[in-house]
Amino acid sequence: MSQLILLAVVNGLIVGAFYALMAIGLSLIMSLSDVINFAHGGFLAVGAYLAYSMTPYVGFWGGLLIAPVLTAGLGLLVEKVLISRVYGRDPLYSLLLTFGLAFIFEDVTRYIWGAQGLPYQVPGWLMSPLSLSLFFLTGYRVFMMALIMVVVGALFWLMTRTRLGLRIRAGTLDLETVSILGVNVRVLRNLNFGIGIYLAGLAGVLAAGQLGLQPTIGDSLIMPSFIAIIIGGLGSLTGTLLGGLMIGVASGLATVFVPSASEAVMYVMMAVVLLVRPQGLLGEEGRF
Amino acid sequence: MTSALTARGLQTYYGKSHILHGVSLEVPEGKITTILGRNGAGKSTTLRSLVGLTPAREGAITIFGKETTHLPPYAIAEMGVGFVPEGRKIFANLTVEENLKVPVERPGSWTIATIFDLFPRLKERRNNKGRQLSGGEQEMLSIARALLLNPKLMILDEPSQGLAPLIVREVFRIITQMRAEGITVLLVEQNVRMSLEVADQVYVLNDGQVAYAGSAADLRADEALLQSLAGVSAEKWEIE
Repeated sequence: MSQLILLAVVNGLIVGAFYALMAIGLSLIMSLSDVINFAHGGFLAVGAYLAYSMTPYVGFWGGLLIAPVLTAGLGLLVEKVLISRVYGRDPLYSLLLTFGLAFIFEDVTRYIWGAQGLPYQVPGWLMSPLSLSLFFLTGYRVFMMALIMVVVGALFWLMTRTRLGLRIRAGTLDLETVSILGVNVRVLRNLNFGIGIYLAGLAGVLAAGQLGLQPTIGDSLIMPSFIAIIIGGLGSLTGTLLGGLMIGVASGLATVFVPSASEAVMYVMMAVVLLVRPQGLLGEEGRF
Repeated sequence: MTSALTARGLQTYYGKSHILHGVSLEVPEGKITTILGRNGAGKSTTLRSLVGLTPAREGAITIFGKETTHLPPYAIAEMGVGFVPEGRKIFANLTVEENLKVPVERPGSWTIATIFDLFPRLKERRNNKGRQLSGGEQEMLSIARALLLNPKLMILDEPSQGLAPLIVREVFRIITQMRAEGITVLLVEQNVRMSLEVADQVYVLNDGQVAYAGSAADLRADEALLQSLAGVSAEKWEIE
């Protein structure tokens, strides 16, 4: 039994880390640009497939390194050409735009790589269990968790120690004042979008190694990511991270005890948080 | 006398409401120019048009000899135009020191270190969040933040608003010090007495138009004119 609970918690933490990676990117974009990016899952799929296609040439590590960067590049382009046009308009425009983009990403990946699932090769030594008693704890799972933590740590550093990060945080509160201090907010929003999409692309590559590839790979992650933001508090990176891990573990545990509630449990958590603390666990008026 | 900033016939709208009806200004280099007027006269809108936040629909703005009418705010700031917005607008979620790292670095004598020399109080509170500061400290931070651009022209929108008299004196002392260091100042104020004391040139706005333009010394000396320009709110002009 304790084995089973441990399995559920570990699984939950890993799934939760994915939610968090998605959610942090979504939250960055939402906070600075007031755009709810429904295409986030599509970018995740693009990252995964790009890695798949380049692995024969650059290997697993090359794909892990390069694919998220290329995805971020695509993000910069999409923001500059399309999304920046709807800034300052009714939120309905950005909603429709990103919703449409999500469909386009899904169909394009289906067109290029096919609708059937594809296997994604992770180095064999990473896939073997770390110990016989903890058979489910493969090196890859530990590696994913560790890498996600490192990347989130780097993002925290960026947001608190660099001028770019400080300007993004200032901009989430008052973009106008950032602009009169000489900061080009068009570029700021573009880079911020790219950072968010980098995280989505990275999540895609990592998820591919665990789940294999499907054009809809991002779909199952996007709703929980929104819930993670709501539970953690919009604009709080720590809160979003916490929110992602919490719902991951909660639904993992629910899978063991009440399998039918494994999806519902995160919605219940969200409802409770909204009733008790509407701004989210770590949300406050000043963002980040 | 060369002007740092010239505005000709500015027509500015907020959505459909027409706020500025042909405002023309001249801000001489190295001087303090103040814009006075009642609430809603268009003072803040004038400044917002000048710094590019609410671009004028008609008219022309020239800063340091360059046409800036349709430039975005960051490009105007990069030319060396500092702006201290109404209500201070400090970043409440950032610490004092982090607030000071938001502006772009233009070369010049102002660095975070020299700012901390001028505002020792900000140095003491460097690790406090913006939201933990008092009104006076927030005003100092807002001014310090704009100074870090190393501006040649500093535009301030009601810096004395809501501050205790002692702090107001301090703010005006800093403004005159800016002039002494060669920075051109454009100041919007409600505190008429204090601003006329420090200003060289004065504009009075009324209903989005220039009602008076002249030297501050003349207006200071002509109490009757001052009262008539102040109109109904003569009492309110009598701060201090």
